Amino acid sequence: MSRQAVRRIILLALMLLICLMISRVNPIFFSVGNIMKLFQEAAQTGIVAVGFTLVLIAGGMDMSIGAVIAVTSMVCVNFLTYTKLPVAVFVPISLLVGALTGLFNGYFITRFKLPEFIVTLASKSILSGIALVIAVKDSMGFVKNVYIQNETYIWFGGQAFGLVYRATIAFVVLGVATQIFMKKTRAGTNIYATGANAQAASLSGINTTRTVIGIYMFSSICASIAAIFISSRMMTAMPELGIGSEMDVIAAVVIGGTSFSGGQGDLWGTMLGAVFMALVKNVILKMGISPWVQPIVIGGIIVITVIFDVSQKKLAEKLATKAKLRKLALEGGQAAA
Amino acid sequence: MNDNSADGGILLECRSVTKSYSGTTVLDKVDFSIRRGEVHALVGENGAGKSTLVKLITGVTNRDSGDIVFDGKTVPLEHSRKLSQELGIAVIYQELSLIPGMTVAQNIFLTKEPLLGKTRLIDSKKMNRMAQELIEKYEFPLKATDFIDRISIAQRQLVEILKALSGHASLMIMDEPSSSLTKTEVEMLFRIIHSLRAEGISVLYISHRMEEVYALSDRVTVLRDGKLVSVLDKERISPAEIIRLMIGHKLEEAAIHHQLPRIESGVVLEVEGLTSVGKFQDISFLLHEGEVLGIGGLVGSGRTELVRALYGIDPIDAGKITYFGKPFAPSVRASIAAGIGFIPEERRLQGILATQSVTRNIGIPNLDLLAPRGVVRVKAEQEYSLRGIKLLNVKPPNPDQLVGNLSGGNQQKVVLAKWLVRDLKLIFIDEPTVGIDIGAKEEIYDHVRKLAGMGVSVILVSSDLPELTRLSDRVIVLRKGKVFHEFKECMLTSEMILRAASGITEGSDEN
Repeated sequence: MSRQAVRRIILLALMLLICLMISRVNPIFFSVGNIMKLFQEAAQTGIVAVGFTLVLIAGGMDMSIGAVIAVTSMVCVNFLTYTKLPVAVFVPISLLVGALTGLFNGYFITRFKLPEFIVTLASKSILSGIALVIAVKDSMGFVKNVYIQNETYIWFGGQAFGLVYRATIAFVVLGVATQIFMKKTRAGTNIYATGANAQAASLSGINTTRTVIGIYMFSSICASIAAIFISSRMMTAMPELGIGSEMDVIAAVVIGGTSFSGGQGDLWGTMLGAVFMALVKNVILKMGISPWVQPIVIGGIIVITVIFDVSQKKLAEKLATKAKLRKLALEGGQAAA
Repeated sequence: MNDNSADGGILLECRSVTKSYSGTTVLDKVDFSIRRGEVHALVGENGAGKSTLVKLITGVTNRDSGDIVFDGKTVPLEHSRKLSQELGIAVIYQELSLIPGMTVAQNIFLTKEPLLGKTRLIDSKKMNRMAQELIEKYEFPLKATDFIDRISIAQRQLVEILKALSGHASLMIMDEPSSSLTKTEVEMLFRIIHSLRAEGISVLYISHRMEEVYALSDRVTVLRDGKLVSVLDKERISPAEIIRLMIGHKLEEAAIHHQLPRIESGVVLEVEGLTSVGKFQDISFLLHEGEVLGIGGLVGSGRTELVRALYGIDPIDAGKITYFGKPFAPSVRASIAAGIGFIPEERRLQGILATQSVTRNIGIPNLDLLAPRGVVRVKAEQEYSLRGIKLLNVKPPNPDQLVGNLSGGNQQKVVLAKWLVRDLKLIFIDEPTVGIDIGAKEEIYDHVRKLAGMGVSVILVSSDLPELTRLSDRVIVLRKGKVFHEFKECMLTSEMILRAASGITEGSDEN
């Protein structure tokens, strides 16, 4: 069995165990309402995580995703407050925030060979500022909490058939489509190749610059899409919305088995990881533990996952070396005989 | 396209190509040609210009002057990797150009994947089938669905070859393809090269291993000091002749004849049966006080790996080390504490802290003496630095100079200085004079000999044959990770080392 399969089975078993334990303490956990909310929560992180997975597979890093959520929702709030434009017009416009941010990130990273981390961190800072500048203000100049009442906009945050949240449906569709794209198209293959060995990829004729710019745009657009679902579900938005959510996203992707060194990982893992993160948060809530504990738990989970991956790899290498030594000893014996 | 493949016409012709890097001519009006469907070996010592010639042909760098004609088409001065691929020139790298997490089939057809009907989806089944057909055609021991990280280095090279074949290459360049292969794998590679030749594909083979060149090639081109020395036809190819041509006039130079002395001093280091899987195997030798022990061998023979393991950088899988009569388990800290120094192979990467001053560089390995309680005694550090600068004649003699701004020779002096200021008993020196001018080279040679004179034992690894010959009191030659030959108490020449490194046993090939 592959290492990946082993870790997925462990992850599923762990989730099952958590579910069983929590349902003992709090029977409400298995109610339809809670389960639907759990998957809705998973979708909010998961939609962003789909884009982020591609960034990691291509060997990059994107720290700006949270700030993209903030700016996108601020753009929507502005349209809702100051214009009468229909949702079908301004939502696509607001997604441009993501597209432009990704273009900016990708361009600076490839054109000037800048470290991904620095470029996207700078974008994060710039976007956080823009979110504050364009936020709707009251007459005193303070940021106003806008209540979103536009029915069409709120539709995004609602449930289909009174059951599944539309965000969840979007997440599943996006995840499955991206998985097929990654595994079944040339462009997807190019992304894996670029992340695994950029030099080899470009020697094989892959335009790595275009690939890298493309994945940063995809990542930011995913964050913009998530912003629509989050703000419409909350029926409000503030300029800090989504900032800091990078940690949840990174945790979901890493738990899903996508490696920081690039060239590895898939969307099935990320989808599983997003559900796992939502489950952990839900459990913290349902156990009556303070929500302030969440970041501590998330940080801990990331560290444990990475340690698990590294030690799994080391163990495999150790076994391989031992096998080789034995083979050498065997050959030596034969030579002597 | 003119069809003269039947009569073995010329596929590639270089006329009077010249290349120089910052004033130094590395290729001087070299003529070179490859016929269709021939296996052509390119040989020469390190620095003879082999890799530069390959780079010019593959478009990695551009030539200064001269013509290159490939398949009847003139290659422009502004050559590029992409253009060379389009022309049908493929380079087989060891593993560089394969994508680890992907299958054999995915790698062969990367960017050329077959698509499902009119969709943009990859037809994986068809791709695997096509790859498997290609594999079976050449009878390679591979499976289309194997993952690259699960197959051996030799198999990866086969994938590289298939990748080139699927791209319809007419010239395949193999640079030291056998350096990391086992004996059976090398035999398989040879069979493949023969079947490529039978298909009319030309192979340019670059190797240090004489027996391979001998077994494989239709013709051999010998380069020396950037100049064409000779092109040998099949019937004139013999290992002894090639080595004679490679070393050439240098044989007459007195400097590289060196009488190895009789050594009677006490044993400092005793190594028994040292093994590190995949790197070296069953290495045993003695090192005496005040002796310079040279370690010769081809690149990839395990020399660097051996000294790294002895110093404690890389782990050891089996074997025993005795240092001054006591068992010794190497670790970098233990080595430094025991008076052992180490000068690494890659000066810029491993030897110096380029952005730090000379003083800091000299201070770093001596912090145990300079900062016994954690705080660096700056005055003492300055003293060390000045002592080192004076001892080794570092220019300019400025302790605050950033090491990155010094010349290569002076950088290496700083690397030496950081060990020489302390009380050394043994030092490992790996390729001390790569990229260093003649003057600084001589100074470094003086210091190595002086160290030995003071009773310090030296283990010297070098690919520079005259250097190894001149400096050593005794030489062991590694070959494929094992001790192949030991030279002691005899008249040593560069040729003898090269012959041993190439696997020629003395006396078996005298003609």
